[in-house]
Amino acid sequence: MKKPLNYAILKYFTKVDEACAEDVIKALKGKYGNYKALNRKDVVSALMTAEANGLLEETRFEMDKSNNLKIYYHAHEEGAAIINKYIKD
Amino acid sequence: MEGSKDITNLAAIQTKKKLSEEFFKKGVLIALFSGLTYGLYSAFLTLGMTKGVWSDWYGPNTAALSAFTITYLLGSLGGAVNDTCSAIWAMIFAAKNGKFGDFIRTLNTTPGRIMILAALVGGPIATTAYVIGIQMAGSMVIPITALCPAIGAILARILFKQKLDKRMVLGICICVLASFLIGSTSIGEDAPEDMILGIAIAFIAALGWGFEGCVAGYGTSMIDSEIGIAIRQTTSGLANLLILLPIFGAMAGSVKLSADLAVQAFASGPAMIWFVLSGLCAFVSFMTWYKGNSMCGTALGMACNATYSFWGPFFCWILLGVINGMEGWTIPPIGWIAAILMMFGILLIAMNPLDLFRKKEVK
Repeated sequence: MKKPLNYAILKYFTKVDEACAEDVIKALKGKYGNYKALNRKDVVSALMTAEANGLLEETRFEMDKSNNLKIYYHAHEEGAAIINKYIKD
Repeated sequence: MEGSKDITNLAAIQTKKKLSEEFFKKGVLIALFSGLTYGLYSAFLTLGMTKGVWSDWYGPNTAALSAFTITYLLGSLGGAVNDTCSAIWAMIFAAKNGKFGDFIRTLNTTPGRIMILAALVGGPIATTAYVIGIQMAGSMVIPITALCPAIGAILARILFKQKLDKRMVLGICICVLASFLIGSTSIGEDAPEDMILGIAIAFIAALGWGFEGCVAGYGTSMIDSEIGIAIRQTTSGLANLLILLPIFGAMAGSVKLSADLAVQAFASGPAMIWFVLSGLCAFVSFMTWYKGNSMCGTALGMACNATYSFWGPFFCWILLGVINGMEGWTIPPIGWIAAILMMFGILLIAMNPLDLFRKKEVK
């Protein structure tokens, strides 16, 4: 069964080493392409909220060629454990 | 080449710093907005409960309702009508933003069930405890419920290991004191026999709201806040209508009575206009409460939301006192002083006020 978008975003981080908002959008576009909330602004906000609540951790940041800030996150051990505990596959 | 890389890095650091600061400020503003809309929701709800069929129930009482029915059943019915309107608003917004499917899918998941539990604890259970507390101990219980931000912050420290240092504790204490001062203005000279038990029951309400703010705020880091609030208001509305009202009806002597009163309340056009507005404000208020808590932490989020203890009487004064000319809604001077005190408390939780002066020195 298809997961709610926010769950899919968090789950994605348990399967990759690190990712930024653009990576998330690219990875989920196939399944959630028709979702209004799958846009850069909303995904960045979801990632920062997850970070503020200790689910994700920032790894690095950089400016891309278009001068947009890209922040990379990863789910650390504890964060991944919480995500997997509450959001089942 | 090396120089341009440094400039790029510097730009990235500055942009990142700005983004983090804006996110924090946005969280605080959202949480403050939740307090303001809570005040508006309270005022519209209070006004709605003076219009249409409610004006008879609370006035001439031609339906000959008992004192128990008027106190408990009508109080609960007001909450049920408001939460039902609010749930409808929440679902309309979720559908408009393409989130209705996710709302249904979230219900039967662990975070969804936790959100339902938080809604039940903070909705019907805490609200009923509050109403019963008032009935048993009089208006003395109102300031007791002002403890909910402190309870939320402590629970967030224990359950989710959120930050809570001495400065934040002091700020929370100032906010609780300010809410206590505002609430104390409504304390009457009543000192009923059941006062201690009533206060203990009112403490359950403070505990329930603290639990809700802390757990649902954390839940919003997993669940979209618009979906979270749709779950909250649907749960609360249904639990009030289908569980609480029949229980109060049975206690009043007839389950059918609660159903009859609910039908009359929903059919009362002049009152429903205000309930539709109070439902909209409740939807916005709870959604921004959860979102603010998840963005800036429970301690600060709940302190910002607690400004409702000022905004509630303020909007009642404007709406019922100034616009509708009803007497007894003026805010006493202590209310204004407490509002300023509360702002200082919030500032203290959010930051060290001395930093404001230090920044000036650097400049």
